Amino acid sequence: MKTYLAFTKKELLEYTRTYKLFLMVIIFLGFGFMNPVTAKYTPELIAGFMPEGMSVEIAEPTILDSWSQFFSNIPQLGLIIMVIVFSGLMANEFSKGTLVNILTKGMRREAVILAKFTSASLIWTVSYLVSFVVTLLYSKLFWSDTGVANLAMAVGCVWLFGILLLSSLLLGGILFRSSYGSLLFVGVLVVVMFVLNVLQTIAEYVPIRLVSVNMELLRGSIGASEVYAAVGITIGLTVVFIVISMVVFNRKRL
Amino acid sequence: MNVLEIKNLYKKFGAQEVLTGLELNVPEHAVYGFIGQNGAGKTTTMKMILGLLPKDSGTINVCGETVNYGQTRTNRYIGYLPDVPEFYNFMNTTEYLRLCGDITGMDKRGITVKSDELLELVGLQDVKKKRIGGFSRGMKQRLGIAQALLNEPKLLICDEPTSALDPVGRKEILDILQAVKDKTTVLFSTHILSDVERICDQIAILNNGKIAQQGTLAEIKEKHVVDCLKIEFHTEAEREAFRRLFEDEKVRQAECPDARTILLHSTQIADTQLKVLEMLYKRQLMPAVLELEEPTLESLFLEVVG
Repeated sequence: MKTYLAFTKKELLEYTRTYKLFLMVIIFLGFGFMNPVTAKYTPELIAGFMPEGMSVEIAEPTILDSWSQFFSNIPQLGLIIMVIVFSGLMANEFSKGTLVNILTKGMRREAVILAKFTSASLIWTVSYLVSFVVTLLYSKLFWSDTGVANLAMAVGCVWLFGILLLSSLLLGGILFRSSYGSLLFVGVLVVVMFVLNVLQTIAEYVPIRLVSVNMELLRGSIGASEVYAAVGITIGLTVVFIVISMVVFNRKRL
Repeated sequence: MNVLEIKNLYKKFGAQEVLTGLELNVPEHAVYGFIGQNGAGKTTTMKMILGLLPKDSGTINVCGETVNYGQTRTNRYIGYLPDVPEFYNFMNTTEYLRLCGDITGMDKRGITVKSDELLELVGLQDVKKKRIGGFSRGMKQRLGIAQALLNEPKLLICDEPTSALDPVGRKEILDILQAVKDKTTVLFSTHILSDVERICDQIAILNNGKIAQQGTLAEIKEKHVVDCLKIEFHTEAEREAFRRLFEDEKVRQAECPDARTILLHSTQIADTQLKVLEMLYKRQLMPAVLELEEPTLESLFLEVVG
């Protein structure tokens, strides 16, 4: 436990000193701010740029437009940035050989995996939370009618999907020892999930559902219970990835 | 008691056999030189002692406990200095030692006290708040020794600690290793023979995947009294004339440092000397220098691996 905490501390110090934490928070803060602002002012901007005499009916923006921005920016750009930032999670340690000292001091290899997973998850959680809170606060400021259905579920789904991606980055890094390997592994995983998602019969269980049905959840056209299956599968898959990472890493030559 | 015992160790990489029945015993409080050519299997052996590489067969015991591949409990007895130690560049010296201390389960006070003591020993006291990223190779090597000694290991394994350093850096490392020998046993691999002669009590020469020689330097030298007679002539022609005529089955001609010199290795040097003198007299050859050289570790090493 002590070694796990010490290594987690080292990871967090690394993210701070190499500006990765800073980068993540700033980018997600930017997203958080952009979501409500673009939703609110895009119609006005479009109206301003229209040639004179032309008028287009644009519906008054609502808070749903703000969330719609949130759920298109974060799962697309946000997750891609996160994956790139964390792609060196294992690869840097492998390529530099920095783990040799640590492991020959009796650090358990499982603890290395867990510490890396925890610290990366923590940074993802903080960045995502910043984005969410800023979007929420601005939205409350811009609109008086702020009621949406299943907000916690919709937001939590994206977070959970991010966690799944982190665990697959970890496994990819351990299998292929390089950041390209990590990225490729995650890329292939996402493509496979998209393909499976097309099949109507199993679409309900595919983790990608967590980042594709968020607006339907908010509008209340589907209930929270309709993503439970995908949530379960995602949690299961994350655990499986972490366990495989540990098993493979234990047999890995340094 | 032996701190390290290796019995009948085999290791293959693909078709290439690196170790073929290696046996090694390292007694307590020795500075043990582990000598071999590049690629002889020194690093492989050390990594297997640390459980970083799986062995094909054989046993390795550290302080009486068996070493297992992957997760090995025996590492708590061992401090390891890799040939090019790598640290987290974003940390400073104190932070890195604290991380190491936490991992080995030392308490906070112990870490602080020991870190200061070791930084003093390796001469990094002045830069303890500086980021490791800006360190020179020699400084990293010294920090490597500090981290390896942090948990007061019974066995300190150094993989070619001096190979990549300049003469000043080398001297510093050797002095440090010399200084810690009362507290721990040092196993030290190298192909720089002058380093071995400076600090090692005992040596083992690795050749063809086996230990070819093992013991104290004096013992090994005694066993292999290969004295060397150096004859330097005035001209190349004289040397050639001598070379053509001189024959003795007990004598081996070594590689010559220049075109006017001949080096003769012999196990019965007195006989050889007489023969040489007799022949020089007969042929009326006048050497410029005729000198008996002490057996060196280098000649010994060349004989063993040659």
